[in-house]
Amino acid sequence: MKTTVIGLGNTILCDDGIGIYVARALEARLAGTADVKTAELAGLDLIEMLRGYDRAYIVDAINLDGEAAGTVFRIKPDDLRITPRLASFHDIDLVTAIELGKRLEFSMPGEVVIYAVQVEDALTLRETCTETVARVIEPVVEEIAGEIEGTAHRTVSIGLSQRRKTGA
Amino acid sequence: MASGKAVDAVYKVKIPAAAAKLRELYYMAHYIHSHTAHFYALAAPDFVVGPDAPPAERNILGLVNKVGIDIGREVIRQREISQIIQQMIGGRATHPVWNLPGGVTRALAREDRDSIKKFAPGLVGFGELGLKLFDDLVLKNKGYLDLILGDGYELVTNYMGLVDDKNRVTFYDGTVRVVDPDGNEIDRYRESEYLDHVAEHVEPYTYLKFPYLKKLGWQGFKEGKGTSLYQAAPLARFNAASGMGTPKAQAAYEKMFATFGGKPVHKLMAMHWARLIELLYAAERLTELIQDEEILDPNVRVIPSTTPSEGVGIVEAPRGTLTHHYVTDSRGIVTKANLIVGTTNNNGAISMAVKKAAEKFVGTGGEIKEGLLNRVEMAFRIYDPCFSCATHSLPGQMPLTVDILNAAGETIRTVSR
Repeated sequence: MKTTVIGLGNTILCDDGIGIYVARALEARLAGTADVKTAELAGLDLIEMLRGYDRAYIVDAINLDGEAAGTVFRIKPDDLRITPRLASFHDIDLVTAIELGKRLEFSMPGEVVIYAVQVEDALTLRETCTETVARVIEPVVEEIAGEIEGTAHRTVSIGLSQRRKTGA
Repeated sequence: MASGKAVDAVYKVKIPAAAAKLRELYYMAHYIHSHTAHFYALAAPDFVVGPDAPPAERNILGLVNKVGIDIGREVIRQREISQIIQQMIGGRATHPVWNLPGGVTRALAREDRDSIKKFAPGLVGFGELGLKLFDDLVLKNKGYLDLILGDGYELVTNYMGLVDDKNRVTFYDGTVRVVDPDGNEIDRYRESEYLDHVAEHVEPYTYLKFPYLKKLGWQGFKEGKGTSLYQAAPLARFNAASGMGTPKAQAAYEKMFATFGGKPVHKLMAMHWARLIELLYAAERLTELIQDEEILDPNVRVIPSTTPSEGVGIVEAPRGTLTHHYVTDSRGIVTKANLIVGTTNNNGAISMAVKKAAEKFVGTGGEIKEGLLNRVEMAFRIYDPCFSCATHSLPGQMPLTVDILNAAGETIRTVSR
């Protein structure tokens, strides 16, 4: 199964770089198993990034009201209009990108999984994550790698239905 | 690009010719990808699928259904090529770490130059394709033509744009020129002079400011001759200039103004037409630059030798004149910064255009006409597909509410999503 991992984010904005850091950590681990890429924007670019793969994992930052920093969500595109890059007014969203790719008769992944990590700070100019968010890089890497390799793996992620609603 | 020019000014350094050409080359590719996304993904569905079509159809998927798979693929392909070109020149297509005080970090590799040369004809063809589509699908459709020529989307203000020494539209470097609603030049300034010409009005309900022409003073949200508000976006650039610097874009520019019966044009939907002409201009200008042998000159940076202090950089961003102003300490650490980004220039105009569209498309007695909310959004989309870049805010959904008031000022109906 041809697989890609796409880390999205901006590494000069503190926790917003989480997707990139996870992708970088996965690159050597998944060499020969999956193509690992990074990007600063999504939108129409996603079509080319996803084209030709059977399965895709996307890692991005998320900022939901009332969630604890470092919470990892595992979600599907249909659940998703909530991460800024994947649901931007400034470009098309992930669901539309996948649908558009199919409409243009490109080979698009049948399975897309999004790992979204709740940020603590995604506005400060800083080239590393906060400690809280940095702590989940390794568990997320393990979970995604385990999932792709089909090996037993530790699960740190939760679904959107398990969202805490405190203050949301 | 504006920040790159501003830091050049902070360090009082003149960059080498090859660096200036590389920056402009990168910027032309950026314009192609930006205008492609704005028009095809976010604005064209209003015209090609229809302003009153349900949102489930009024999107890029509906657009592909109308124009066909081959054109849809061409849009994706040429936009991707423009991104690849940016990556070749600047290392990254988005957020390149490439501009430095005094120039750029690296010269263009010969093999990349050769690749970009091969891409160029396809980009020019793509620019022409956009205008043909606009001609066939919009201008030849009476309903859409009426929408463009009607009074629902019209605003009479001053117009601003960066021009070259022949008053032609330019994106990377030039002089800021401002014309009044009759097309007469009323102001002109270089980057370092902007504070003498533009001021920013503040309203308590928003942290986005309202720039206006300083010498005319703040006069409120008023259009017509004498207003101090200006617009700065594709149509405004065209109104503020005398023409385009490349032949195919110039022919398209002349055709557009002939259709409207002369300059300046106040019909806001012409903005999308101007945007497509700019896309063609960017492709033609990219072609000129990539054929210039100096683009391969390895001398792309002058190391600054002065103590940094203060500088201003101005470019034409896809959505309007972009001004960056930095003040630094002697180590080059920014101590004060002011940015007037493209859409911010148009804040007053957008506010009025949205209000006029709402008034126009609400019927007598508060009757809600089909597609009202979208027609109000369209007044916004003329300028910008979203507000997040100008306000650094992402509310997560379109925060659109139309309150319909009676003659006594009482709200009789609210429509929102």
